[in-house]
Amino acid sequence: MDERLKKIQEKIREKSKELLSKKRVDLIIGFSNWTLPLRTTPVFIRTPEGTESLIWNSFCENNLATYIHKFNRFRVGIVVKGCDARSLTALSLEKRFNPDGIFLIGVPCQRMVDRRKVARAVKGEIIRVEERGEELLVEGEEFKTVLEKRDFLYPSCQVCIHRTPSQAHFLADDPVEEFPLVETHPEVDVFEKKPPEERWRYFESETSRCIRCYACRQVCPMCYCTECFVECLRPKWIEGGLNPQDLQFYHIVRAYHQTGRCSGCGACERACPMDIPLTYLTQKLNQDVKELFGFEVGLDSKTPPPLSTYEVEDKGDFIK
Amino acid sequence: MMLRLDKRDFKKFLEDLMEEFDLYAPASLVEGVSVFKKIDNPEEVNLTPTLTQKPAKETFFPQSEPMFNYKTEGHKSQMKSLDEIKRERILLGARPCDIEAISIIEKVFLSEPYTDVYFLEKRKKTTLIGLGCNQPLSTCFCTSAGGGPFLRMGSDIFLIDLGGAYSVELLTEKGRLFGKNRFLKEALPEDKRQIKELEKRAFEKIGVSIPVDGIEKRLDLMTESSFWDRVHEKCVGCRICTYLCPTCHCFDIVDEGDHARGQRVRNWDSCLSSLYSLETSGHNPRPTTRERVRQRLMHKFNYFPKIFNRVACVGCGRCIQYCPVHFDIRQAIIWTSSKRPSELKT
Amino acid sequence: MKNPYLPIPMVVKKAYVETTDQMLRTLELVFLNKTDEEAFQYLPGQFCELSVLGKGEAPFGIASSPTEKSSLKFTINKAGVVTTALHHLEEGDEVGLRGPLGNHYPIDLFEGKNVLIIGGGFAFTTLRSLVVYLSHPENRSKVKEITIIYGARMPGLLLYKEELAQWEKRDDLNLVVTVDWGDKDWKGKVGLVPNVLEEIAPSSKDTYAVICGPPIMIKFTFPKLMALKFPNERIYTSLERRMKCGIGKCGRCNIGHLYVCKDGPVFSYAQLEKLPKDY
Repeated sequence: MDERLKKIQEKIREKSKELLSKKRVDLIIGFSNWTLPLRTTPVFIRTPEGTESLIWNSFCENNLATYIHKFNRFRVGIVVKGCDARSLTALSLEKRFNPDGIFLIGVPCQRMVDRRKVARAVKGEIIRVEERGEELLVEGEEFKTVLEKRDFLYPSCQVCIHRTPSQAHFLADDPVEEFPLVETHPEVDVFEKKPPEERWRYFESETSRCIRCYACRQVCPMCYCTECFVECLRPKWIEGGLNPQDLQFYHIVRAYHQTGRCSGCGACERACPMDIPLTYLTQKLNQDVKELFGFEVGLDSKTPPPLSTYEVEDKGDFIK
Repeated sequence: MMLRLDKRDFKKFLEDLMEEFDLYAPASLVEGVSVFKKIDNPEEVNLTPTLTQKPAKETFFPQSEPMFNYKTEGHKSQMKSLDEIKRERILLGARPCDIEAISIIEKVFLSEPYTDVYFLEKRKKTTLIGLGCNQPLSTCFCTSAGGGPFLRMGSDIFLIDLGGAYSVELLTEKGRLFGKNRFLKEALPEDKRQIKELEKRAFEKIGVSIPVDGIEKRLDLMTESSFWDRVHEKCVGCRICTYLCPTCHCFDIVDEGDHARGQRVRNWDSCLSSLYSLETSGHNPRPTTRERVRQRLMHKFNYFPKIFNRVACVGCGRCIQYCPVHFDIRQAIIWTSSKRPSELKT
Repeated sequence: MKNPYLPIPMVVKKAYVETTDQMLRTLELVFLNKTDEEAFQYLPGQFCELSVLGKGEAPFGIASSPTEKSSLKFTINKAGVVTTALHHLEEGDEVGLRGPLGNHYPIDLFEGKNVLIIGGGFAFTTLRSLVVYLSHPENRSKVKEITIIYGARMPGLLLYKEELAQWEKRDDLNLVVTVDWGDKDWKGKVGLVPNVLEEIAPSSKDTYAVICGPPIMIKFTFPKLMALKFPNERIYTSLERRMKCGIGKCGRCNIGHLYVCKDGPVFSYAQLEKLPKDY
């Protein structure tokens, strides 16, 4: 196993053990290995001994901040990457939980590996994977191959700048350098170069695969409305079937509701069983918010998202 | 009757079928994502992936299906149930688990005293052509759930990929009607042996390790077990496992349109949605993921068997493959037969 | 083949508001087609799905009794989209109906026994059906004593007020009407249903109890019935659940392996005891 990741894992376990032993928290929400390669699973640890199952690798792709809604009555320790921590900061601004009840075990993130991209790069089912520095050793029943991790990172991770959760109460490793691997989100880049009609066609064709499972919404820490507009009956905004217009409407509104709130973690896209690209929409909105308002989500716990606030002096130009 | 179809003739064979039938088969939407859809061009058919994302149930129970149209003028309303199916249909390339699941859903839709006419109409006008699983996935556990990678039951015709050709077994009267197709040739003497070999390999790969047997009885004693306090924790309440499940069959009924004109539609629904059981009063008998996950598992492994004498799971593993938080139903099943709740993790 | 999802057309013969808060409205429906009417056979406790096209369907207990041939009666609490639309229907309007659905009160078991009927709030609808049915000259002799305890929050919220007055006068019905809060004109009992039950303490000997009401009333009434030594097998209730298809296909309304729409809505406590407690 990779030395740095192993060290981080040890630190996570140590800290979690300490927090639970000293009863600083009721539970730790972290990652654990489970039954499939290239995957990890969220775990909820309540005993110091249980912390031995906590792990860290490049498949810790879930944004655990989403569980804060479920566990906001408990004192929780959460293992967070940069993006996850920024989601929590954004949520604390929306007063979704008591910040005193939460302990962030931060991991300066090495960027996460896109399991589907890896799966597509080989022929046959992957049964074992190992991380070795910058490489991935991937094995199936009839193959064994080495891949460069760098070529298999999630789009949202390629573009990520703030990988160190500086808000964390504890960092499991030294901060990592703040730089994106690519300047623009690869899909935003492609998307922006298309003429408007083609952009629409692309959006139309990608959203046509949507099965309305709402996984993108459910995994998102920022989607916590008691009644989502898609399910509101009075008034009814949208039908429940697979009408293309309804699918498009859902995805546009979902993305817009994230403007200035999305940490860019990419959990929505990873959750989609139909492989619909989703982060190009939210990333584009994030880019716009950054350009127009100089705001990035979750960097400090004081500045509210630009679209959630106003000042009398606001000029209306941006609306024109 | 055992025949053989050369793969070079496969497209033309499909064309023949399409002359007379509406053909439904797995087709890729993009790389890595396939579903069962109505085939317009034989080129679309892609039998390579072991499992499509959406199961074959869609062919009989579409995700969104109009039930009737209505029109109102003055005080009078007219309701017109949708027309019967004019062309017979073929479902081709469904794996044994998906085919078995159709017979499971059928138990519900065709159970007395009410017959679901929409399901029945499609079911009785469809010939099922199953496809054996030469390469089961690591998440497959059909053999533990009462099925198998080469289970012929439910199929009218059964295909097995022999490399350069498909073995074609005509199993029912409906299936034997296809015996005269010009591309179906006599089976070769060695086909049988090769099939045996493929079956053996697939069975060995899957094994029978998941304790589905006896689960109904075990769960009888577990309705209020602390098991449920833990097993649901990671569930985020999306609908993937239920929508991609070949046996899940819950639906919602809604009107689309206004009073003057519109249609009543049924859409798939999911017990994992918080709104599923929410009553107008605000009361929700299943208020948290704890009750909802319990409902999903209990329905599959306890309630359903009580009524229909069979678990409502065929072990296809889609829910394991696609769960965004990696819930593994096999582990939940295993846990019901273990004695150590503290080690629970799903 | 009959399509069980296709409503039959009914016409609103009469519609009137029952309660001072305007939230409960009764619809009396007649069949548009004679054949539908002939095919429609029901017993107290069963329900129907009523549809307003464009709004959808919702389940309602049948408040009329099969002994009343003239119309089908439903009392509707205005709460959601469909019920609001039903409140806006006028006499002469058409409304869709599917039913009768579900099981009924165990009338066969009541034969030769006493029947204690306990109702609260607007859940009294199918109990009205039961009272009218049992007190009909054709059926009255089949059961022994009939005791009815019916409570509402306020006098203005009582359903079927004229009928209650008529029942009051009959000597073959013991009717106790109670309200949580009386007003200056109220001369009847004031008190919560469970307390009134405790006070009048009907004997459980040879008696079946049928109880329908808001969950909170049921919660407190049930122990009182236990104290009166009613066995679980002789306590029946009608459950409400969110429903869609009403015919046991769509999922949703199950409690354990039983479906409220198909195996219920009437259950004995002996049955409910064995089910998971998600209701």
